[in-house]
Amino acid sequence: MSPPPECWAVALAHLPAVGPARLRALLGSVDTPADWERVWTDVRLGRVATRCIVHPPSSGAESIRTRWREAASTIDAEARWQAHVDAGLTVLVHGRADYPAALVDDDDPPPIVFVRGDPDALTGPRVAIVGTRRASRYGIDVARALGADLARAGVVVVSGLALGIDGAAHSGVLEAEGAPPVAVVGSGLDRVYPRANRALWSQVAERGAVLAEYPLGVPAAAWQFPARNRIIAALSDVVVVVESQITGGALGTAVEAARRGRTVFAVPGPVTAPSSAGTNQLLHDGCPPARDATDVLVALGMSETSVRADAERRPSPQGDAARVLQSLPWHAVPVEDIVVDTGLSLGAVALALDALDVDGWIVQRAGWVERMAR
Amino acid sequence: MLATIASATLSGIDGAAVTVEVHVGNGLPGFTIVGLPDTSCRESRDRVRAALLTSGFSWPDRRTTVNLAPSSIRKVGSSLDLAIAVGVLVASEQLSGETVAGRGFVAELGLDGSLRHVPGALSLVDACATPEVVVAPGSHPEAELIDRRRVRSAGDLRALVDALTAEAPWPRPPDGSVATAVASPPDLADVRGHPVARQALEIAAAGGHHLLMVGPPGSGKTMLAERLPGLLPDLDDATALEVTKVHSAAGERVVGLVRRPPLRAPHHGASTVAVIGGGSVRVRPGEISLAHGGVLFLDELGEFSTVVVDSLRQPLEEGVVRLARAETRVELPARFLLLAAMNPCPCGEGVVPAACRCTDRSLERYRRRVSGPLLDRFDLRLDVHRPGARDLVSGPPAEDSASVAARVRDARTRAVERGVVCNSQLSGSEMEQCAPLDTDAAALMERTLTTGRLSARGMRRVWRVALTIADLAGHDGPLSAEHVASALHLRTEPGFLVPAGGA
Repeated sequence: MSPPPECWAVALAHLPAVGPARLRALLGSVDTPADWERVWTDVRLGRVATRCIVHPPSSGAESIRTRWREAASTIDAEARWQAHVDAGLTVLVHGRADYPAALVDDDDPPPIVFVRGDPDALTGPRVAIVGTRRASRYGIDVARALGADLARAGVVVVSGLALGIDGAAHSGVLEAEGAPPVAVVGSGLDRVYPRANRALWSQVAERGAVLAEYPLGVPAAAWQFPARNRIIAALSDVVVVVESQITGGALGTAVEAARRGRTVFAVPGPVTAPSSAGTNQLLHDGCPPARDATDVLVALGMSETSVRADAERRPSPQGDAARVLQSLPWHAVPVEDIVVDTGLSLGAVALALDALDVDGWIVQRAGWVERMAR
Repeated sequence: MLATIASATLSGIDGAAVTVEVHVGNGLPGFTIVGLPDTSCRESRDRVRAALLTSGFSWPDRRTTVNLAPSSIRKVGSSLDLAIAVGVLVASEQLSGETVAGRGFVAELGLDGSLRHVPGALSLVDACATPEVVVAPGSHPEAELIDRRRVRSAGDLRALVDALTAEAPWPRPPDGSVATAVASPPDLADVRGHPVARQALEIAAAGGHHLLMVGPPGSGKTMLAERLPGLLPDLDDATALEVTKVHSAAGERVVGLVRRPPLRAPHHGASTVAVIGGGSVRVRPGEISLAHGGVLFLDELGEFSTVVVDSLRQPLEEGVVRLARAETRVELPARFLLLAAMNPCPCGEGVVPAACRCTDRSLERYRRRVSGPLLDRFDLRLDVHRPGARDLVSGPPAEDSASVAARVRDARTRAVERGVVCNSQLSGSEMEQCAPLDTDAAALMERTLTTGRLSARGMRRVWRVALTIADLAGHDGPLSAEHVASALHLRTEPGFLVPAGGA
């Protein structure tokens, strides 16, 4: 049985010095996908048309042709294809009917999208939640809550499976058990990066979909992450930047989204916090603020599905807990300060904090206590 | 002629009685030491000869044989010098055999005939099988700690022989009282702020709970650590003697029975042998044995080699360290309170939210260095914060060590009534029996267990700490939720173990 046309497209993606532009040119050089096998043969024989080698290097198109020819001789196209089939991946090639509609008309679409999980997860309204890897506790909490609330409202949340904000957003979506999670990663789908997110990675693939532009075996590299960000921006109707330094990859996603005319939301942060400097800059530049999922849902025209809860729903604290809450300033304080300020014993304070924590009035982390607005 | 002199040699921290037999007889002039002497012991021959000659005695021009009995144990060090010299004097008939009867001799000799202090003099005098022991003046104070021996000391060989032959009275022992003025330990009253850390120290002292302090540089971890021994009660007689022997054997100058719990703070570059003890021939006590009865303070725990840190696990469980060598096997006491301090992360700012400048990778590495079984042995894990300016300048005067120590003593009395020295030694079943939880406390414990914040082993540790907290408060009956909440609070997951991002 002869392999499908995608087989040759995947083989072409394995070539060195092949980016989205050259791959698109190669695949588009023939009239029908059935002819992709011929393109591969041309590459192997070193007779690729010069017009397929877009942005030729200073050393000339011939050097690329030679590199491709040499590399192609070591690539067993059908074995590589079989590896992708065995791994249970869906391969979507630009120009085929099953290629994601959201990406078809993009000005820099990924020529091939590899999907682990359900490609249908991409249907419906989509919102990207992005932000810094070195997130603050605040950013983590906001990203998680946004992810959960949007998923519950039926919005597909797209993110990048990175540490920090991305991971928190995915975790929130998984907790909510609403719309499926979607992730776009910057490496081959068998190269889990960062390894700390291994479990999250497989959960997202199980419940939704993990997308990549790169074939199996391609390790993570720094330049692939900005490229990944453009896909996140292209896939999403709205992008929410939760937290970002003044120079962050998440701002790159925001720029890509703005170029495509997507609404970019930024979550406000303290003006003194370096972790929110980038998002505050976005707000200053005119992005609307995202205080919670409702703000985003309004932009999507889905506001009726959620009503902003103005009323305080948490039970009022009693006794020592009330006294402790009263004494808490608006910033995080060590427990020692609470003991000093309230004059209560450590045991009483610990009990009070436990009660406040259960009701969601505060969060405790490594000896610090922080008051929560909601 | 034959002479038999009593002495002793050191093995670990204990002495072993040695009989030095000296025979001077006909034959080619020569001097041999037999009976498993170590190199340092064989060097005695040259010291003894020079000391005898410079002290005005003659060296026998005959065949001299020294036997160190029993010959099965290896003799190490110079503690047999004096016994050999006296033996030669008796065997060559320069001194009458009766004068040395019932006397043991433990000292090193100088070439000028002077008697010198040897490490472990306390154990050596203890091991001598004679009612009277002669030591160097420097060893006199510690030798006197053994009540059942009469201790004599002389400055040099000539003075010793004069005293032995009753031509002169025994020299007066050196006045030990000057040296006994021990610098008073730092007081807890000097510590401003840190209400929770102070309480953790008190609980650690009362219950014998190991304590880990995590905090940025300059938060006062070392200052707090130095004040922990001051909160512990005096050592009991048996432990005091054991501790003194260890210190004597390690070559530290001992001026009296060590009554106060010691504090040992090895640098993080310390080798395994320095910490655990060891050595190929003479096994020296390591820092953990020197901390016996007191506190072992490991500052910058994350910087210690993992081998050193892991080797602490067995002594922590058993209270002794067993060192086996090809020729010897010794068991050194090592029951100590482990107190460790570390920075929350490589940059040191990790306890303040969002102030850390560490990369994920360096945090990951740091986490790997310290996580695992050792962290689990700490009953108390505390984040120490830099005290606020308000506390430093105008805070209320802090409680002094004496009043805290009094509470600690009372709490320990309650532990002794349960049949243990301190609560950390209670087994799981003993604890459930003598310290049940009331309904609220049980509910709190259960809730913490189900949220996964606590493991089953962690729960027992929290329970013990809660019991100590109740003891300190003079509380009787089932433990309340307040005790358990405090104990839980004093066992926080160190901040660096909680990754900032991800799930």
